[in-house]
Amino acid sequence: MQQGGNVERRTILKAAGASLAVAGLGATATACGGGSGSGDGTVTIRYAWWGGEPRTIAIRKTIALFEKKFPKIKVKPEFTDYEAFWEKFQTQASGGNPPDVFQNAVGFLRKYDKRGVLLDLKTQADAGHLSLENFRNGVLANGQVDGKQIAVPVGANTMALVIDLNAFEKAGVDATFGWTWDEYFDALQTIQDKLKIAGDTGYFSIMYLYDLYLRQNGKAFFTDTDLGFTEDDLTEWWEDGFKRVKSGLVADPKKVEQVKPKSALSAGLAASEFTWDNFSIRYEGEGESDYGLAPIPTTDGKNTGQYLGSLMLSGFSGTKHPEEVAQFIDFMVHDPEVGEIMGYDRGLLATTEQYEAFEPTDPSNKGVAAYEEEVAAAGVLGKITPHPSGADVIEAAFLRIGGEVAQGRTRPADAAKALFSEAKAAFAG
Amino acid sequence: MTSATRPALPAASERRRSGSIAWHVGALAVLAVVLYPVIWVVGASFKPSKDIIAGLDLLPAEPVWENFSGLADGISGISISSFFWNSLVYAVLAVAGVVLSSSLTAYAFAKIRFAGRNLLFTLMIGTLLLPYHVLLIPQYVLFRNLELTDTLVPLVAGKFLATEAFFVFLMVQFMRGLPRELDEAARLDGCGHLRTYWSIVLPLSRPAIITSAIFTFINAWNDFMGPLIYLNTPEKYTVSLGLMMFRDQEGISDYGSMIAMSLVALVPVIAFFMAFQRYLIDGMATSGLKG
Amino acid sequence: MTLVKDAPVRPAGERPFPPAAARHGRRRENLAGYLFMSPWIAGFLLLTAGPMIASLYYAFTSYNLFTPPRWTGLDNFTTMFQDPRWQKSVEVTLEYVVVATPLKLLLALGVALLLAQRRRGQGLYRAAFYLPSLIGASVSVGFVWRALFSDDAVVDRTQKVLGFDAGGWIGNPDYVIYALVALSIWQFGAPMVIFLAGLKQVPRELYEAAEVDGAGPLRRFWNITLPMISPVLFFNVLLESIHAFQVFGSAYVVSDTRCGPADATLVYTCYLYQKGFKEAQMGFASAMAWTLVIAVALVTAVLFWSQKKWVHYEEAAK
Repeated sequence: MQQGGNVERRTILKAAGASLAVAGLGATATACGGGSGSGDGTVTIRYAWWGGEPRTIAIRKTIALFEKKFPKIKVKPEFTDYEAFWEKFQTQASGGNPPDVFQNAVGFLRKYDKRGVLLDLKTQADAGHLSLENFRNGVLANGQVDGKQIAVPVGANTMALVIDLNAFEKAGVDATFGWTWDEYFDALQTIQDKLKIAGDTGYFSIMYLYDLYLRQNGKAFFTDTDLGFTEDDLTEWWEDGFKRVKSGLVADPKKVEQVKPKSALSAGLAASEFTWDNFSIRYEGEGESDYGLAPIPTTDGKNTGQYLGSLMLSGFSGTKHPEEVAQFIDFMVHDPEVGEIMGYDRGLLATTEQYEAFEPTDPSNKGVAAYEEEVAAAGVLGKITPHPSGADVIEAAFLRIGGEVAQGRTRPADAAKALFSEAKAAFAG
Repeated sequence: MTSATRPALPAASERRRSGSIAWHVGALAVLAVVLYPVIWVVGASFKPSKDIIAGLDLLPAEPVWENFSGLADGISGISISSFFWNSLVYAVLAVAGVVLSSSLTAYAFAKIRFAGRNLLFTLMIGTLLLPYHVLLIPQYVLFRNLELTDTLVPLVAGKFLATEAFFVFLMVQFMRGLPRELDEAARLDGCGHLRTYWSIVLPLSRPAIITSAIFTFINAWNDFMGPLIYLNTPEKYTVSLGLMMFRDQEGISDYGSMIAMSLVALVPVIAFFMAFQRYLIDGMATSGLKG
Repeated sequence: MTLVKDAPVRPAGERPFPPAAARHGRRRENLAGYLFMSPWIAGFLLLTAGPMIASLYYAFTSYNLFTPPRWTGLDNFTTMFQDPRWQKSVEVTLEYVVVATPLKLLLALGVALLLAQRRRGQGLYRAAFYLPSLIGASVSVGFVWRALFSDDAVVDRTQKVLGFDAGGWIGNPDYVIYALVALSIWQFGAPMVIFLAGLKQVPRELYEAAEVDGAGPLRRFWNITLPMISPVLFFNVLLESIHAFQVFGSAYVVSDTRCGPADATLVYTCYLYQKGFKEAQMGFASAMAWTLVIAVALVTAVLFWSQKKWVHYEEAAK
């Protein structure tokens, strides 16, 4: 309760002074606080991330390690779940008060770059505070926008098909690298016929999967500033999807909805689901079966359209301590001990130093490593395409409108029109 | 039975007894339906985490204790007791703020005749209609400019400034129902308004004050949006925010501990409610119906 | 309730000051009044009026929180009225208000009538019935609600016994709103307490007199209880409707944060929240908020107007 006691004393004092403070608004509004530097040269930086308890415990260990090696820098951790993280971040950033360093993802880069929130780490690298060397498979590019390095990857992940191993085995179907969409849906049909469960949980609402499909066909979900496909493309995609819901190949959306927040795959409603490979650990925790990673279906028998995505670290452009922020990021992405502690929680470790330092022992992590190696070896990894400002909003809209299609509430053509109209607003925002 | 003077008595008491049984049966039946979800939550807290979401059974097949015992280890390196302490501090400050500021304001509305009172009263009632969301962002910007985010100040400042119109209204109604002779006598004896407020009106308004306190405590204890927006340091999180830490959209969520903690979180509100609920009706009564 | 009835405060029987001291006394009263009111005035100006004016301004701008608001006139409002999701949210909210408010008040009144009788263990019953309202719209309530209204769970089985087979409600866009309504009804503690307070004040003599006249329980309820508690009923209707228009938390937890499926639980504030805090369209969100304020004000005005016809206030003279 020691720490609680402090909270109380401070809050009571502040609360007591609240009326005064608020009443004296004009006088105090300009008072500069900051307060992150102190007399002995120690600085404090705020570091924020989203994620569950295992990630948080691991990150806290790495922070302790950092503070030991950089005794003049104190790190104040802030963490919460994904949804709350971005709501909070937006509010804080708009008030000019975001954390100094924070976890970031591809869909948010341009949005916050456009709003001037992100620190250009290239200048910090040039000044020697941060090394941009030794990144694996070119993932460093994930954090670049318009020649600036506004984020540095901590991991690399890619889309995968998570399958219920027992269901696939019982139905006697195999998922082989390079299989086509037709072969994939045939396999699902076999599963449906033999096991009386659906094949998939709702593939057509996942923006990042549609992106892969478009990439297989020489397009992409986004261009630099717009959507990279037509309303007709999307109408067709959703028409096919809805057909498969009606035939039972895709699980009943009503049932998928009511088991949330559990995944319909772990609830046993379907035999497979598309998601990011490093999220696959979730299914073991939630479901009764065994789960494994299978390849993404292709259009031409070879190209999966995949690329390596990343969780990244970014700095705040207005931070009072850009140098320390850069040093911190450098440590977090290069230090081998940090890699050992973090493992593949945020994807395969992004730098060679860290990648070599960690040897996966559990089946889940081993599976992810094997999967990414296989994808890399197949030579199908392409370059990531840009995600314009608003990509996060469009991803949510795609999921929601796809859900309406699945429920039979919106005709695919109308749904495609709605998505285009919402996308327009999102790009403008 | 032979006495002609009191023939009805045994029959009446019998009727009363059977009526009483019927009453209890009826009340318990309604109660069973109402409490079913609560029992589900209690049951779920003894289920393994995997069985909780979309679980159909009311009670666990085999009760497990791990959800509760796991709480002792804290979450993400933070002790569970720190969430409870923070919630308690917030709720207690909120109660103190509402009671103090609302009663002062109510006294002015009910007992002091000053210019512009009617206009201010209408404005106060008008704020009852405002959706909380309209004010959220401008308020955030204000507190951010005052460098008060990540403290409890934004959460309790409104309480100390009587912005909770419902409670002001409740107390105004109550105070206006108090016998006028009491405070007038005090005023004629030379008591100032402050003395009259403090020694006469405030003690007599106890039911309305306690009613406001109960509602304020419950609201603050359950508040999610306020802490979500204003608190950044996990060590300062309240219970409602701490609960969300068991959730992980990308990995394994610990729903078992989440349910267990939300159940433990009920204990203080229930205790607070039980301790003061007998005043609740009186607080509402005199304020609600005075004609 | 007087204040609601004749909003301009008119405390009866205040003695005028003697003419000589009048001016001095009035000034002192003004000073005292404003001193006592000062917390409220500060709070009103800083935390209510200021933010309200700010949001009123935002309603006529395009504002993403980062770049300064840009004046766009009525654009937000015209976009909003044409927005199918906004229309949907209005539909969902109206349905919720119209269905949930009366049902909740009915249950609250029923239980209050039950608890108004003097019985052993009254306090315990009262607390037990209040319990659901203590829980609030927490995540665990979300879990239990989603579980209860799923396929083959207790609600589904009960409705099958009753010969009505709709399956689980949670995943069904046609029914999920009723799961939300059920949650609102379940948390009936506050109106129940207010009803209890009202019932307690109905003079016993009225019932005794009616009993002597041979009026049955139903007649007594209709002719005595209902008119006597009509001010409380009015108060509850007013309060609960305002709350229902602003419902957020329960829709958020029942739908597992998405206000779905297929926007079926997209209550007004949930859409406002998504627009403002997820998509950072603060101008649009502010326009929505102000539209809601106006709608609620209109409903309140109609309720006040209607009370003349059905609310019976006790005469001031006892």
